[in-house]
Amino acid sequence: MTTLTAPPVRVLKIIPERCTGCLRCELACSYMQTGEYRPAKSVIRVSPFEGHTSYAPYTCTQCAEGWCMTACPVGAITINAVGAKDVVDDTCVGCKLCTIACPYGTMFYDTDTRKAFKCNLCNGAPACAEACPTAAILYEETPTVDWLGDFAQERFEHALALEAR
Amino acid sequence: MARHLIIGGGTAGMNAIRTIREEESERSEITLVSAEKPYSRMVLPYYLDRSIAESHVYTATAKVLAGWGVKAHLGRRAATLDTAANACTLDDGARLEYDDCLIATGSSAVRAPVPGADGGKVHSFWTLDQAKGVLSEIAPGRHVVMVGAGFISFTILNSILALGAKLTVVEIAPRILPRMVDAAGAELVAKWLTEHGVSIRAGAVLTAIEDAKAKKRLRFEKGPDLLADVVIMATGIKTNLEWLNGSGVVVERGIVVDNHLRSSVPNVYAAGDVAQGRDLVTGAPAVHAIEPTAQEHGRVAGANMAGKSIGYKGSLLMNIVEVCHLDIASFGAWDDGEAETVTGLRADRPAYRTLVWRGDRLIGAIILGPSSDIWTTNDIGMLKGLVQSGSPVGRFKAHLARNPFDIKPAYIAARTTNLLLPETVLGRPAKAPGETPVAV
Repeated sequence: MTTLTAPPVRVLKIIPERCTGCLRCELACSYMQTGEYRPAKSVIRVSPFEGHTSYAPYTCTQCAEGWCMTACPVGAITINAVGAKDVVDDTCVGCKLCTIACPYGTMFYDTDTRKAFKCNLCNGAPACAEACPTAAILYEETPTVDWLGDFAQERFEHALALEAR
Repeated sequence: MARHLIIGGGTAGMNAIRTIREEESERSEITLVSAEKPYSRMVLPYYLDRSIAESHVYTATAKVLAGWGVKAHLGRRAATLDTAANACTLDDGARLEYDDCLIATGSSAVRAPVPGADGGKVHSFWTLDQAKGVLSEIAPGRHVVMVGAGFISFTILNSILALGAKLTVVEIAPRILPRMVDAAGAELVAKWLTEHGVSIRAGAVLTAIEDAKAKKRLRFEKGPDLLADVVIMATGIKTNLEWLNGSGVVVERGIVVDNHLRSSVPNVYAAGDVAQGRDLVTGAPAVHAIEPTAQEHGRVAGANMAGKSIGYKGSLLMNIVEVCHLDIASFGAWDDGEAETVTGLRADRPAYRTLVWRGDRLIGAIILGPSSDIWTTNDIGMLKGLVQSGSPVGRFKAHLARNPFDIKPAYIAARTTNLLLPETVLGRPAKAPGETPVAV
């Protein structure tokens, strides 16, 4: 079988059962990325499940294909020293092709700067993992998997059952 | 040493060249024939509004090409292809022999067939030279009339407004964006544009463009004339294939290619706008003429030319354009009239979604929403992921039918990420743009 991630890289490992929905990761992310406490600029996003009774953070998987990177017509998305796909601001023109190319919904667009932005693993010291008070976000050397799928399915099935009553 | 000939220096050709260098086990000879210096059409709107310099549009300078060890014939066009002799003749008579070649000659703008369509102050917007022509004529207060309300005209709509011009868009179809969004979506966009000062005239059949002192007069089958300072014709494109007559390469709507991007002639590949390859969603042969298809075609063709055997699953039709801070995107079989469809509208935002289903799999989608709304951008990607992966969403489909705006929980709970993580175009992690090996 082909190895899809070039080891050894550290990735954001998410343990959704531990998330309390406190949103500290969003605050920390936005502060690290933009210098402001503006969750609207966070590239990790906490989603509610089961009618807002449980939560889980969701962010870029740093996927092997790098759909954002291969789609960029001007080579403005590259791989940084810690293996994260990262936008080179001076090169990005804001054409948004990366936002339709990324099949995970983890590209963002800043209407002020007219540039795309995304998780760059804070160049090796992810602020979200640092800020998480319950260790729901870890920065570890481990293969990337679908951290949220099983959790979300269970919670969502339950919510659907309630909806159907 | 294997001799690869790349005909066309656009997105498909340049991706092929990079991929050959990434994948080859032995150094090969690469020759590029390109009528223009390689640049990206995607970024021309940002050159038009002067937010980037001309130097920013080029995808490879002569120095970069030399670094990649590419012999470049720039400013030359391929005139004939002799597939029996494995040779291509250029418009200056030069004859280039190859072991395999890639046809990536792209497409050209076409104008509505009306008297005056080729007159002064009437422009196409497709090539860099054409962009320069438009740029030289647009100034604050000038009235620009854009003929055609499709993707191409919408990509430069913001730029024209940013330059201070007044804009009228006329469209022959009964509504705008007929090949990008459905009727309800088009209505929302038309209302939004009207509120932002753009005049729209749909169902308008242009009959002639005449000189009117220093201006242009546009005449229509019905309704009043329009007076314009500048006319931009964004009335479609056609593939650049005439030069292949007599080559033996089978052409339908485009060059027929197999899942290795090979044409009917085994050592001749085709990629991008000229190639008729597999559509990912329908499985049918299609000519997409979009940037992502050109990129993927180019990479797959390049890998196969370098000796790999890479099968291609097919191209996903997709487009995105932003007008006056409203994002408009569509994916896959969004216009499949037979398919089960769910729509959602929030007029106050405004936001709109169309979800098109085959069983419990999404096969197409339309999404409209404000660029400043994070959920617009995130949902754009997740809709793409659902269509691309064909993720069976099972019971979550019922939830999306009730609330087509609540994409994310259904996307995650259907384990779409798990389906997508192993997917790569070339069977290996992609390399960063700067990682292409240079000549030794």
